[in-house]
Amino acid sequence: MTTLITILTRLASPPPQTLHTHQPTSSTVTYTVTTRPALTGLCAKLGFYVGISARVVLGMVAVLVVCLKWCVSLGIGISVLGAFWGEGGERGMRRIMKLIEITDGTYIIPLAILVLFLACKRNYKEESLTIISGLGLQTSTTSSFYLRSPSTRFISTTAIQDIFIHEAFKGFEVRFYLAVVVEGEREVVVVFPSMLPRRGILEEVWREGRKCLWEMGEKG
Amino acid sequence: MVSDNFFPQPGGVESHMYQLASKLIDRGHKVIIITHAYPGRTGVRYLTNGIKTYHVPFWTIYRETTFPTVFSFFPIFRNIVIRERIEIVHGHASLSNLCHEAILHARTMGMRTVFTDHSLFGFGEAGSILTNKLLKFTLSDVDHCICVSHTCKENCVLRASLDPSMVSVIPNAVVADNFRPLSQNEIDSRRSSAPGPPQPLGPNDTITIVVISRLFYNKGIDLLIAAIPRILASQPNVRFIVAGSGPKAIDFEQMVERNVLQDRVSLLGPVRHDEVRDVMVQGHIYLNPSLMEAFGTVIVEAASCGLYVVCTRVGGVPEVLPSHMTEFAAPEEDDLVAATNRAVAKLRSGKVRTDLFHNQVKQMYSWTDVAQRTERVYDSISTTRSFALIDRLKRYYGCGIWAGKLFCMCAVVDYLLFIFLEIFAPRERIDVCKDWPKKAVPVAKLGEEEDVESLKEGGVPGRKRNSRHRREKRDETDESSAA
Repeated sequence: MTTLITILTRLASPPPQTLHTHQPTSSTVTYTVTTRPALTGLCAKLGFYVGISARVVLGMVAVLVVCLKWCVSLGIGISVLGAFWGEGGERGMRRIMKLIEITDGTYIIPLAILVLFLACKRNYKEESLTIISGLGLQTSTTSSFYLRSPSTRFISTTAIQDIFIHEAFKGFEVRFYLAVVVEGEREVVVVFPSMLPRRGILEEVWREGRKCLWEMGEKG
Repeated sequence: MVSDNFFPQPGGVESHMYQLASKLIDRGHKVIIITHAYPGRTGVRYLTNGIKTYHVPFWTIYRETTFPTVFSFFPIFRNIVIRERIEIVHGHASLSNLCHEAILHARTMGMRTVFTDHSLFGFGEAGSILTNKLLKFTLSDVDHCICVSHTCKENCVLRASLDPSMVSVIPNAVVADNFRPLSQNEIDSRRSSAPGPPQPLGPNDTITIVVISRLFYNKGIDLLIAAIPRILASQPNVRFIVAGSGPKAIDFEQMVERNVLQDRVSLLGPVRHDEVRDVMVQGHIYLNPSLMEAFGTVIVEAASCGLYVVCTRVGGVPEVLPSHMTEFAAPEEDDLVAATNRAVAKLRSGKVRTDLFHNQVKQMYSWTDVAQRTERVYDSISTTRSFALIDRLKRYYGCGIWAGKLFCMCAVVDYLLFIFLEIFAPRERIDVCKDWPKKAVPVAKLGEEEDVESLKEGGVPGRKRNSRHRREKRDETDESSAA
């Protein structure tokens, strides 16, 4: 019974979040909260690269199949495929051609879109806060797909009125959040909006971030 | 503490909770308040002394009460209770659905529960029967119950068929300093009479009678409407000041117009709670025609302002003030008129020393005392042992033929939900909140007072909250760096 409960608990638990601090110079610091597991050891690294290449191959295959279907419907399928394949793979080429011809387009296109979607989907989330002393701060959230740039927002020091941690209702629970009060805006800007990390992480970022943003600037 | 009724809405339960919470915090406890969201007031807020208020976003139905969604409140409630490390749940007001739900969930989670009843109910009407059943459900498993007066206790014991030994009476209190009679200086500036001991009113001086009440049926406004013309007819030098609003306001205005009493009856309309004192000190007699009243904080406030009180002998009212401060009447027209006339005559003959009332009331009612007594209740229930689920089910089953089974089902579902939540939202994943720093820094305190003032005016500008929050956090960092 207890093992069952622990298994269920583990299944239901969200991926663990880690905080990475990157400080290239004394006046710049980046806090990144991520659910990506750290790549330690050969196996993890190998798995990561294999996964990436599998995604690339799958995505390319999906695009290719849709292209071929289109070519077939135009009637130039054989010649296009021939250009790809060269002279050698005549038999394989014919078999694939046949398959594409007999499959209905109403199946191929949604299937290809699904495969593309899965290939591009990011399986981790990453949000970061970059603070440049005396200049401002930038929040950044990775998009949920590969190949898309993260959404960022820069707030200059003059516009920042305050940074604070507060609590709010989110779904069925109360969560802590780190927020920036921006001058002239009705709503605060929430840092790490989709991850909403736990209090320990937030407090660390808050404490260090304030130091970097204001106290360093005053000294310099 | 949990209740549907809390600020910014004005009222007796609200101020009771606020005062009790702040006094309990002064005594070194940690108090948070859970209520539902009001327009413009959602999320987590701090009041004076760091009373933390959770405004849970739920929709409201009748008279600021939330829709009864028995189980949907549980996940949020559990989350709040765990993150704030709550040990005792104290629900207020029997019409508050949030309070009943919270007590049910708290018992499921094995916490101690206290319930405070603020009102009296009948037994006959359909609404009362439903409320009484619901109350029975909640109270059959509560650790202790507090009532505001002995009448209220009797009523509560009957309604919920409780063991009288687990019901205590802790009356409301007033902040006597907020209800001071006019000082000598103020009197001097108002009338140019020689300073000295208060002089009895002459037979030709005007006596002002004050009525401050929401103009509802249960406050006895019909009685008042019938009595005022008769009182004014028999007493030539009497005038009325009436403050408040409600559905009976139109009837009241019609009465004034029909009898052409505009120069002797002034209608002030709704007044804010902090203006009540200013209205009260203008009068000599306070008239409370209420038909149903569990405690009647307003008559204590009136007595504290140095007014002689005429009130109906209903509910818990006779227990509230000693007999030399009040003139009682049966809740009927003739008797009310007679009692008012008696009071006027007594005042004119100078038999009543209304100037001493303030200090007497101050000694009788204080929130510190209420907090001490509540603390004693908390201490007593903390030592009793908790009941197992099967014991709870037995108690629920005894609630009625159909209701008992229904209540049992609710309790079982609630327990299953609890187990489900323990698995899918385990305790380790809920952050524990930091407590409000105990040590009061004078600068921070100033800021809070400002905030509470603006709270009373309704709506805190977001900026202000943030600045205070920053201050709080700064205190924390100071502490941690010192450590």
